[in-house]
Amino acid sequence: MSKPTPLLPESDAREAALFFVVAALCFLAVLATLTARGTYTAAHAWSAQVEGEMTVRLKDTDRRGAEDAASIVRGLDGIRSSSVLSQEELNRLLAPSFGPGGIPAGVPMPILIAVETTQDAPAEAGVVTAALTDAGFNATAESHADYASEVQRALGTLRIAAIGIVVLLTATAIAVIAFATHAALLARRDIVDVLHLAGAEDRFIASLFERRFWTLGLKAGSAGSLVALAVTAMIVFSAQSAGTQSQLLPQLSLDFWDLVILAVTPVGAGLAARWAAGGTVNHSLKSVL
Amino acid sequence: MNRFRPDTADEPAVELNGVSLRYDTADDVLSDIDLRLKPGTFTFLTGASGAGKSSLLKLLYLAHAPTQGEVHLFGLRTSALSRKQLSALRRRIGVVFQDFRLLDHLTAFENVSLPLRVSGQKPGTYREEVVDLLRWVGLGERMHALPQSLSGGEQQRLSIARALINKPDLLIADEPTGNVDPEMGKRIFRLFVELNRRLGTTIIIATHDLSLIREFDAPVMRLQHGLLVRDVEHQSA
Ligand SMILES: Nc1ncnc2c1ncn2[C@@H]1O[C@H](COP(=O)(O)OP(=O)(O)OP(=O)(O)O)[C@@H](O)[C@H]1O
Ligand SMILES: [Mg+2]
Repeated sequence: MSKPTPLLPESDAREAALFFVVAALCFLAVLATLTARGTYTAAHAWSAQVEGEMTVRLKDTDRRGAEDAASIVRGLDGIRSSSVLSQEELNRLLAPSFGPGGIPAGVPMPILIAVETTQDAPAEAGVVTAALTDAGFNATAESHADYASEVQRALGTLRIAAIGIVVLLTATAIAVIAFATHAALLARRDIVDVLHLAGAEDRFIASLFERRFWTLGLKAGSAGSLVALAVTAMIVFSAQSAGTQSQLLPQLSLDFWDLVILAVTPVGAGLAARWAAGGTVNHSLKSVL
Repeated sequence: MNRFRPDTADEPAVELNGVSLRYDTADDVLSDIDLRLKPGTFTFLTGASGAGKSSLLKLLYLAHAPTQGEVHLFGLRTSALSRKQLSALRRRIGVVFQDFRLLDHLTAFENVSLPLRVSGQKPGTYREEVVDLLRWVGLGERMHALPQSLSGGEQQRLSIARALINKPDLLIADEPTGNVDPEMGKRIFRLFVELNRRLGTTIIIATHDLSLIREFDAPVMRLQHGLLVRDVEHQSA
């Protein structure tokens, strides 16, 4: 005699539908998480970079004076680097306003010093301005963090929204898995009844369903996760081959934590399905003698 | 359960005290039923369709709790038992359901071995027994068939085999001959009688079949609109 047939039938059309639903939800949840993480990481990196920048505007001085000013700034605490912007750099910076021909002669141009502050205890714009004023320069320092604060605020909102979306999707996935599992179980009520009346203990019956739905959730979750991995890899690959590195667009990459998310999702789906199955069986058994 | 009064022979196998049953509807399906069956008795249960035969049997095979009254089996007050104890008690009861309740994805062999699997026995240990029993009910050739490929009578015999495989102390059969010809009906009844004589199994059979009742001359209980109008104490055997 070969191995006995499982007490629960292998699978049927209903389970195929459940498999698809679980896989699709896991796919969406993984993709949403990865995208949210990517967007947040990119925006965070951009604002962290901007945070550490400052521009000093000098008036009534020439290049030599500007170099002196730059070295005074360099000597202050909390400054990492400080350099006078060359004419080419200015041209490039202002190209959107003046076109590729450069700045027309005769346009009064301030001289700019690009300053990078240190990460710990960065110098404040006011301190830089005061130091240069004391040295006899007509100078104004402006921290880029002032512009970045808008982005910072948007970033905070983005983070909350991303967490909200992921939580909502995960909750929906669990609810749908529970609901679909419940429906699949009710359809096999006959088996539950026969086993129950043959003297099977609640534990025995529940474990049949738990094992079945744990495997189903795990398989479906893996399928969804793998498709999400494939899609992400495709996006990463096409972005890299096109050479676009636009800093504020969601920057998908696959780091350690992304892989953890990809691996944990199927287990989560399996556990959700197992939990839903166990709960449903126990509940329906408690309603009979 | 009093441990000084164990499950002994003078204890009724089945005892119902003032039992009533009502489903979700307003009317009682069974009203105020008192009943005592000694171990090793063979009893018929009859009554018109809808009289409540299947409902009474459901109380006995612990599929339903009575709305009122107490059901005792083998001296155990069932309302006082834990779920685990109820499961253990169910394993001492074999049931032939009116609608068979065979599992359609399991072969005839596997359907019969179901109660053994449920009680944790390993497939290697019961093969012979199951095959013998299947031969005995005339399904030796159909062991690997799925229920839907069996005739109504074959399905009925299969469900009887499943009820017997555990050598139950109490056998409850709901219209066990409803789908077989009179000859097979007699064979099945003889099988029940043999089981009753040889193993002392307490047997309750619900049936409409008056000719079989007459032929086997056993005590008869009659249900009428949920009332036990003629119980075993008064019957003229
Ligand atoms: N699960 C249920 N819910 C509600 N009413 C039920 C249920 N089962 C049975 N009944 C009702 O209880 C009454 C008795 O039904 P039961 O099945 O016990 O009769 P029976 O004597 O076995 O009939 P038959 O000879 O046709 O099998 C019927 O009126 C039936 O409609
Ligand atoms: Mg009936």
